[in-house]
Parts: sequence; structure tokens; C-alpha cells
Amino acid sequence: MTPPWVHRIALPVALLLLGLLVVASLAIGDLHLGPTRIFAGLLHQDELAATVLWNIRLPRLLVAMLVGSALASSGLVMQAYFRNSLASPGLLGVSSGGAAGAVVMIGLGWASASIFVLPLAAVVGAMAATIMVIVLARRGASTERLLLAGVALNALLGAVTSYVLSNFTLSYERNAKILFWLLGGLEDRTWEHVIMASPIVLAGALLWPLGRPMDLLSLGAREAQSLGVDIKRLRRSMLVLSTVLTALATAVVGTVGFVGLVVPHLLRLLVGPEHKRLVPLTLIGGAAFVLACDLVGRCTAGGLRVGIVTSLVGGPFFLWLLRRQA
Amino acid sequence: MTTALTITNASVPGRLEGLNLSLAPGMLAGLVGPNGSGKSTLLQVAAGLLPTEGGVAWLGRDIGEIPVPERGLLASWVPQEARFEFGFSVRSVVAQGRYARGDDDFGVDDALRQLDLTALAHRPVNRLSGGERQRVLIARALVTQAPLQLWDEPLAALDPRHALEVLMHARRLTQAGATLFFSLHDLRVAHCLDFVVVLHQGRLRAAGPPQLVLTPELLLEVFGVRARQTPGLTLELP
Repeated sequence: MTPPWVHRIALPVALLLLGLLVVASLAIGDLHLGPTRIFAGLLHQDELAATVLWNIRLPRLLVAMLVGSALASSGLVMQAYFRNSLASPGLLGVSSGGAAGAVVMIGLGWASASIFVLPLAAVVGAMAATIMVIVLARRGASTERLLLAGVALNALLGAVTSYVLSNFTLSYERNAKILFWLLGGLEDRTWEHVIMASPIVLAGALLWPLGRPMDLLSLGAREAQSLGVDIKRLRRSMLVLSTVLTALATAVVGTVGFVGLVVPHLLRLLVGPEHKRLVPLTLIGGAAFVLACDLVGRCTAGGLRVGIVTSLVGGPFFLWLLRRQA
Repeated sequence: MTTALTITNASVPGRLEGLNLSLAPGMLAGLVGPNGSGKSTLLQVAAGLLPTEGGVAWLGRDIGEIPVPERGLLASWVPQEARFEFGFSVRSVVAQGRYARGDDDFGVDDALRQLDLTALAHRPVNRLSGGERQRVLIARALVTQAPLQLWDEPLAALDPRHALEVLMHARRLTQAGATLFFSLHDLRVAHCLDFVVVLHQGRLRAAGPPQLVLTPELLLEVFGVRARQTPGLTLELP
């Protein structure tokens, strides 16, 4: 069992780590900025630093944090919902659903009509995928069944994306935009993307009070109901929140895999399975994880997109988990 | 006088047929029947966890009119077996029994002691044996302090001493005014209860005091066994 001192220091340590990563991601880049120049730039006292920070690094930083929090907490909620610690938006095909929705909109050329088109299309796609995975796998399904449902859905939704790529008469620009989705990246993120992703803050806040009933649900739905949890309402909230969180993240940066698997898992190993601790830590930890992966990608020669880095970390981690479960 | 539990004409397609039953408050009641006779189904119907045709009332109130959070105060259900995916500590699972009462932790340590779980309090539940898990679920039911307790085969995985202890706590619960309705297979234990309900192929076959209900004819008909009084082994707590 986790010793009590770990519980006491977990949140401050996570916040400190996130703070350090924030400073690092503001400092590191083609133009290296020291703490004083960052400060001066944020206050518009240093023209060059201000341009770099306000136009490039701050929006990228905020998008990375919002997306990380969204994907990690979405994974946490799905794991409680399916009572399976391997459930996550990427493996179950929910991210692919969001991406397929967005890709269809880009392919049709409607994405530029309003900044709300992509998030809405992603929510619709992700919701369709969530409903399909529930029908295929059912709650409390075995790991095999859940993962196979995910494999099937990912293949199906991948086919939708491929169809759009190959059969729509597309301009080079639209094709490039679609490829961006499939790779998942934080390049060229602007304040418009920050606004697009900002409802993530609201969804994260709504998640907070669900922690305790999620504890009870994760040990069995009927048991939870007999203990006084309104299961129908709780499940509906969880489903909507986790789907919207994944969809918004996908709408802003494309598919970034494994965040929803790696972050809740590591935190559960550290502080135990109780959601009152896991919910805030996952929101912070998710932000920190994506920031760290983005930093690694930016510091790699030639640059690696954040989706590639999270997959390089998450893939082996997932295989390790599977081995451990077996 | 209000009954603790009233089931009126309850049916679940393929599992339970037109069942009527009422239990008086303070009763220690057993539910017996061969495998597949509908015991678990009946307990879930009684707990309001399975949709059913017909009605279920707790302490004279139709459960359809009781809001879900309040249901947690009135009745507690113990499943036959539990699959724990996450490593919650034994103590935190038992404390979940206080959810409907604002998570106040009241009685948790007492329940751990009563079910011989104090030494396991900080052990993850997903690393317990079947019998230990069952004791955790019973402890959680005890801390709810619900006046109606519905337990599905609480003794099935327990060793003789823990089974006798659970029966002792069950008796204390009913002496304090609660009503306990639980399924079991041991007909000798059923003989010591206040009331016995016999299910057969999804129908109520008999209900009443065990001396009147568990006759040799009924045992032969329902269970296909012959009852014989012999000087066998009798176990009791020291």
C-alpha cells in the first residue's frame, strides 16, 4: 500500500514538476530565453522575446497542457467506466472516432467555416465510437474483449479516414491538414486553438465531484447502486465527459496516443486507486506528460511530433502492462 | 404492522415467476433452492437491482418511489462474488458502506474487527482469497446499518469458524431490529433460522418456519435428497 507521506507530497510535487516543465517549454527553442528574458517578454518589455512567447510558445504550451489533461482524465474515466485499467481513448477507438469526424469535415472543406466545426465534428465522431465500443464490449468486459472491440473500431474508423484521403477531390492543402491530424502535433498552434480547447477546463472541473462515486462504480455497478450511487446518472456524465474531453483534444491536435493509458496507470501505481486523489493528479500529470513529450520532441535533432513521442513511450509501456496482467 | 420486505407478483422472464413474499422486521430468513432455482435473481429483485414486473416494497414503501441515494440507507445487498480490478485497500472498500451517509467512516473499524479483517485492513482487495473477499463484502454491508440486508450466499467461500462468526453477527443484527434475508446451501444451517423460503425452478415452493417447511417430503421433491437424523459432527464457536 502507498505510505501516507506519498499522498501528502504527491500534489505539491506534481505541481512543481509541471511548473518546471512550463518554464522549460517557454525557454527552450530556436531562440533560447533565460528566466529574465521570459519575464521581460511576457511583460512586453523585450520585443523579440514577447513576439516569440505570445505568438508561438504560450499558445503551444497552453494547448499542450489542455490536451494532456483532457486525454489523461478521459482515460481515467474510461478505466472506471469499463472497470478495466487498459481502457483508454486511443485503444478503444474513441480518438479515431474524433479524428474521423474531423477529417470528414476537412475533406468536405467545411472546417474553415467556423472554429467550432472541427470540435463539434470530433465530438460527434467520438460519441459514435464510444457508443459502438459499449455495444461491442459491454461494461466489465474482459481485457481481450475490450481490446478486440478497440482493434475493430480503430480499423473501421481508419477506413473512413483513408476513404476521405483517397476518394475526395482534395487540394494539397487539405491533404496536408488531414495528415496533420493523423500524426498529432503541436506545431503552429495559435490562440484560436487555445479557445477551441478551452472547454476542457470546464469538463475537467465537472469531473471533480465524480471522484468518490467513481470509486464505488469501479468495483461493480450493482454494488455501487445498492450503496446509493445513482448509476444511470453517473454513467451518463462519465460517458459524456470522457468523450467530449477526448474529442476536444483530438479536434485541436489530432490523434495523440497512449496519454490516457500511461498517465492514470503511473499515478495509480504511485498513489493508489482512489479517485479523489487520482482526478486532480491526472489533470496535472496529463499536462506535464504531454509537455515533457513535446519538449523531448523539440529537442530531438530534426524534431519529433508530440504524437510520435507519446507513442514511442506509450507503446512499450502498454506491452509491459499486458505482460504484467498475464 | 409494516413488513420489512414485500414482494408482490414478481416475475423476471425465464428466471422468476409470479413470486409473492413478505418478511417481518427483525427476521433472520434463509433462501434455499437447488442451483439455478432463482435465488440470486430473487435477491437482486428484492434489492431493486433488477427490473421486474410486479412490486417490491421496503418497510411499506414502494421502492419505485424511493430516490436512489436514499435506497442506500434502507437496504444493503451483498453479491455472491466480486471481481476487483483495482487495488483499493480492504479498509477503503469497507468504508464505501458509509457512502449514503456522507462517508463518515462510522463503524468501519468495528466491522473490520468483527469480520477478522483488521490485519488485512491495508491489503489491496484484488490480492485477497475468495473467502477474504467475501468477508470484506459482508463488513461493508454491516457498516451501512441498513435495516434490510440482502446477502447472496455469504457463507459459500468461508471456513467453518468464519461462517459461524458471520452467523453470529447476522443474529445480532436481527436482534437489533434489522431484517436479514440470505441465500445458502447448507440445510442444517437453514434449520436454525427464523424463516425459510424455498425456491424451485423460479417459483416459490414454500415459506415459513424451517421446522414446518423443511420436511423430508419437500427435501426429496426439491433437492432430491433424503433427510435422516444422525448423531453427526456439530460445530460451534469456543
